[in-house]
Amino acid sequence: MAKVTLAPRKGFLSENPSVLRFLGLLTVFTLIVTALSEGFGAGIVSTSFLKVLGMTLCLCLIAVAMDVVWGYCGILSLGHFAFFGLGGYGIGMWLMYARTEGIVRESLANAPIPATEGEVRDAIATQIFSVVGSTELPFIWGFAHSLTLQLLMIVLVPGLLALVFGWLAFRSRVTGVYLSILTQAMTLALSLYLFQNDTGLRGNNGLSGLQNIPGLLHLPQSTIALWFFWASALALGLGYLLFAWLVSGKFGSVVRAIRDNESRVRFLGYHVESYKLVVFTVTAIVSAIAGALYYPQAGIINPAEIAPITSIYLAVWVAIGGRGRLYGAVIGAATVSLLSSWFTGGGAPNIDLGFYEIVWTDWWLVLLGLGFVAVTLFFPKGIGGLFDYLVRKP
Amino acid sequence: MSALLEVSGVSVTFDGFRAINNLSISIGEPELRAVIGPNGAGKTTFMDIVTGKTKPDEGRVLWGETSMNLLGMSESAIARAGIGRKFQKPTVFEDQTVRENLAMALRNKRGPFDVLFYKPNRHARARIAELAEEIGLSDHLPRRAGDLSHGQKQWLEIGMLLAQDPRLLLVDEPAAGMTPAEREHTTELLTRAAQTRAVVVIEHDMEFIRRLNCKVTVLHEGSVLAEGSLDHVTQNQQVIDVYLGR
Ligand SMILES: Nc1ncnc2c1ncn2[C@@H]1O[C@H](COP(=O)(O)OP(=O)(O)OP(=O)(O)O)[C@@H](O)[C@H]1O
Ligand SMILES: [Mg+2]
Repeated sequence: MAKVTLAPRKGFLSENPSVLRFLGLLTVFTLIVTALSEGFGAGIVSTSFLKVLGMTLCLCLIAVAMDVVWGYCGILSLGHFAFFGLGGYGIGMWLMYARTEGIVRESLANAPIPATEGEVRDAIATQIFSVVGSTELPFIWGFAHSLTLQLLMIVLVPGLLALVFGWLAFRSRVTGVYLSILTQAMTLALSLYLFQNDTGLRGNNGLSGLQNIPGLLHLPQSTIALWFFWASALALGLGYLLFAWLVSGKFGSVVRAIRDNESRVRFLGYHVESYKLVVFTVTAIVSAIAGALYYPQAGIINPAEIAPITSIYLAVWVAIGGRGRLYGAVIGAATVSLLSSWFTGGGAPNIDLGFYEIVWTDWWLVLLGLGFVAVTLFFPKGIGGLFDYLVRKP
Repeated sequence: MSALLEVSGVSVTFDGFRAINNLSISIGEPELRAVIGPNGAGKTTFMDIVTGKTKPDEGRVLWGETSMNLLGMSESAIARAGIGRKFQKPTVFEDQTVRENLAMALRNKRGPFDVLFYKPNRHARARIAELAEEIGLSDHLPRRAGDLSHGQKQWLEIGMLLAQDPRLLLVDEPAAGMTPAEREHTTELLTRAAQTRAVVVIEHDMEFIRRLNCKVTVLHEGSVLAEGSLDHVTQNQQVIDVYLGR
């Protein structure tokens, strides 16, 4: 996608050396991690940590998308994790269906009478849905047997949701805090809906076993994890390129103008709502792709993943990293999410004060909150801005 | 001279206060028109109505040969139809360079995908250079607009207005914050523009209006108090009472 769209503006990369620098760093990082991985190299980076790194790259990708929609276009969307989650569900449906189909066919192969296709489908449905007391395959699983169709759904479903939601919201000129609340309501509604057992996506059980890739079950997880890590790095690279191109040039200029004074942009003859809709929808689709790469590495997705708070964290990452600069979003997402898994995963040693023991799994959020306040007060441009400052100093 | 803009019987009420009261104004093409009147007379609100920012309670605003009804159109569609505006308080995009501000205003397709694949050509670059020359900002093209002086921002906004190449220019107090020499240059720019298009200028500076040497409309309490040459309206006793005699 990025290649095609890049064609009309040659010299884009030479005009934007920071993009090239980012892609270079990402490549070096990917190569180093690969060389240290269990599946390929020295084995210093364990497979589980490799998955954490791969997932972090996906989070960086959605953070970059968030930066475009918020930092550049001024739409503080607190609902982009809904699209991320939908992407995860999209890929999860195929993963679960295809893997269950393999198991069912294997067990039916020994039956005296060959099973009909209908019986196979029924058996798959029973396997997947017995946890929610159902044996029917819901109609939304109609494409789950086909990877191609399901990949298409990963783009189309979140894209359409963003298009319809954005069209309704922007057309009524809902802006600022009201729009943020509306996006929170959207992700909350979706999450509550998915929590129900009869929605066809297994309620609060979610979709699980996603780390097992149908057709590749003979390969060790160390190899699969490496492939997903590479795919995540590639997606981040391409996404970064796409967005850097989008926010450069005249389109970027109009989008930033909308952020700063949208009514003035209207008097120049630009239909502001269309621009917002394009930005909102494109970032939603990229978020969905990030989610589709994230959840096979996480192994499980459930409705809690798209609870309103996750989208708020996303805004916090971008604010800490520095909005309005794409690498800032990457820095913010990587720093905060890695620190978060270190603190909450028991990586950080607890501090015994004698009268009180600081247990980081409880105190991490407080620390994050304080960090957020500190950045907002003292470094309004975030870590990325600090970085600028240091570089510019002789 | 045929009527390009036809405002008739327009009224606007803000919280019970009638800011525009049965206002009728007709602007031809080409024409240069000055609008004067005391503070709060409704001059800016008149421009708000024409550009779609404020929707009137009653009346009609018709545009062009086909008498398009502007009241049913969005701000951006009105701007694309050929109406450009300079605001009373200079509003440029402060975080962007002078060049970016001008490039955004430059007359080109406005759709998101047109803009996404837009590549500035030699013609566009030459036009920006020419405009910058005209508004005295040639040396400031790469500068952030927010770093310009008040007068320079005024100029930039006038430049953006010219870049749009509109059929009707609505110019709200262009000379505020300018030196006498700059005022003279502005007069010259506006009279030149008015040779081929319609230009409506709001100003308080009578010396400036005199140099424009054009038909004058005096607004008071939301409607037209007098209309005609400057000498004609300045002799009007009502005009002297409400505006000139203050
Ligand atoms: N959006 C609004 N809401 C409420 N009142 C308004 C609004 N816009 C204008 N007014 C009122 O309408 C009246 C006309 O205002 P307008 O700005 O058109 O005056 P003006 O002739 O441009 O004055 P000035 O010479 O001071 O610029 C004023 O009393 C103003 O307070
Ligand atoms: Mg005014």
